[in-house]
Amino acid sequence: MGRMERNDHAAIRAVLSGDKNAYGTLVAQHSRAVFRVAFRITGNEADAEEVVQDAFLRGYRKLADFESRSNFGTWIYRIAVRCALDRIERRNGEAARVDIAADAEPEAVQVPDRAPGPEQLLLGCEIGAFCESAMHSLTPLERTAFTLRHMEDCSMEEIAEALEIAPNAAKQAVYRAVQKLRQRLALLKVRT
Amino acid sequence: MNHLSEEQLIELYYKKDNPEAARHLDACSACARAYQALQADLADLKPADTPARDENYGVQVWNSIADRLPAYTREKRPWFRRPLWIGLSAASACVLLVAAFYAGRVWEHEQQPHNLALTVPAAPRPPRVVVVVLSDHLERSERLLVQLKHVNANDAELASPLRDEARSLLVANRKCRQEAEQSGDPALTKALDRLNTLLTTLANQPGGLNAGAIAQLQEQMDKDGLLFEVRVLRSRIPDRQTSANSPLKGGIA
Repeated sequence: MGRMERNDHAAIRAVLSGDKNAYGTLVAQHSRAVFRVAFRITGNEADAEEVVQDAFLRGYRKLADFESRSNFGTWIYRIAVRCALDRIERRNGEAARVDIAADAEPEAVQVPDRAPGPEQLLLGCEIGAFCESAMHSLTPLERTAFTLRHMEDCSMEEIAEALEIAPNAAKQAVYRAVQKLRQRLALLKVRT
Repeated sequence: MNHLSEEQLIELYYKKDNPEAARHLDACSACARAYQALQADLADLKPADTPARDENYGVQVWNSIADRLPAYTREKRPWFRRPLWIGLSAASACVLLVAAFYAGRVWEHEQQPHNLALTVPAAPRPPRVVVVVLSDHLERSERLLVQLKHVNANDAELASPLRDEARSLLVANRKCRQEAEQSGDPALTKALDRLNTLLTTLANQPGGLNAGAIAQLQEQMDKDGLLFEVRVLRSRIPDRQTSANSPLKGGIA
C-alpha cells in the first residue's frame, strides 16, 4: 500500500469518526481525475462539474461501506462513472438526440487527397467535431463503455465492474459503439 | 482459416495478445487491410482535450459540497456490528465448537468402560428369568403335589382339575429344566426330571384319572420324596433372588 493510499485510509477513518473536514483532503486529492473521466463521458464541462460534485456527495454517503482493502481513487472513479452515465441518460431523456446528418454538414468539408496543408488540418477539426456529435448518437451505455475502453484504457472487467454489468455485456457495448462510430466516419469519408 | 470478423479485429486492436489472429493478419492481406482501416478509424476517434483544472480545483469542489455533508457520528454502528465484536463472536463460536467436539470425544471415551461393565452382568439375566419363573413353577408344583397327596382316590371330580393343572405345568417344567441344564445345576435338573415324569403320567393317564392311577401316583411321589425335594428347592429360591439386582417379572409361567 502506497503512502497516498495510507493517507486516504487515514482520512476515511477520520471522517467516519466524525471529522467531516478530513473528506476535504480526499476531494482535493482526486477531483481532477474524477473531472477528467466525467468530462470524457459527458462531453461537456458543465455536466462534468455536476458529475464531480455528485460523485463526491454519493461517495461520502457510502463511505461507511468502503472496504479498507480497496483503493479510494478506484472506488470514487467507479462512482463517478455511474454518476456520469446517470447524467447522460437523464440528459438524453430530456433532450432530443442530435441529428447527426444535419450537424455534420459533410458538404462543407474540403478534403485534399494526400498533401498535408491547411485543408487537412481543417479536416482534422471537422472529424473531431463529427466524432463528438457521433458520440452523442451512441446509447449512454455504449458511449460510457467506449470512453472507458478507448480513452481511459480500462479493461473489459473494470468496465463491467464500474457499470455493474456482465463482462460480456461490456464487451458487446464496446463493439457496438465502435461499429456505429465507424459507420459514421465512413459516411463522412465517402462524402469527402 | 476464415477471415477475422470485425469483433475479432476490434478485440485484437484493444488486447493485442492474440498471437493466432496476429499470425492470420500476416498471412491474409484482406484481413490486414481491414485491420489497418480499423486502426485508422480508431486513431481518428481521439479523446477531446480535457479542460485544464488548476491546483485549487479540489478545494473549490470541496467548498461547493461541504455544506451539504452531515458529519458522521462516532457511534454510527451498533456495538454488535463493530469489527471487534464480530471478530470476538466468530472466535467464541469456533472455541465453543471445538470444545463441544472434544467434550463429546471425552464423554464417549469415558462411557466406553461403563458400557462394558453393564454388558458383563447382562449375561446372568437368563438365570434371573429362570429364578423368577422357577419360583413360581415350584410353588405351583408344590401345591399340585400337596393336592395330589391328599386327594380322595375315589373322587374323580376332584382329580380332573389336577390333570389340567399338570398339563399346564408340563410346559413350564420343560423350559425350567432346559434353563437349569444350561446353567449347570444338576440337582435342579434331576428334580425337574422326576417332576416331569410325574406330571406327564398325571396329565396323560390313559383312560383318565381313576382311583388306581391316583393311588399309584401317590405311591410314586412318596417313594421319590418329590414333594420334599420341591420344598427344598423352593427354600433355595430366596437366596438366589436376593443375589439378583433386579429380578425380572413375567416370563414363561
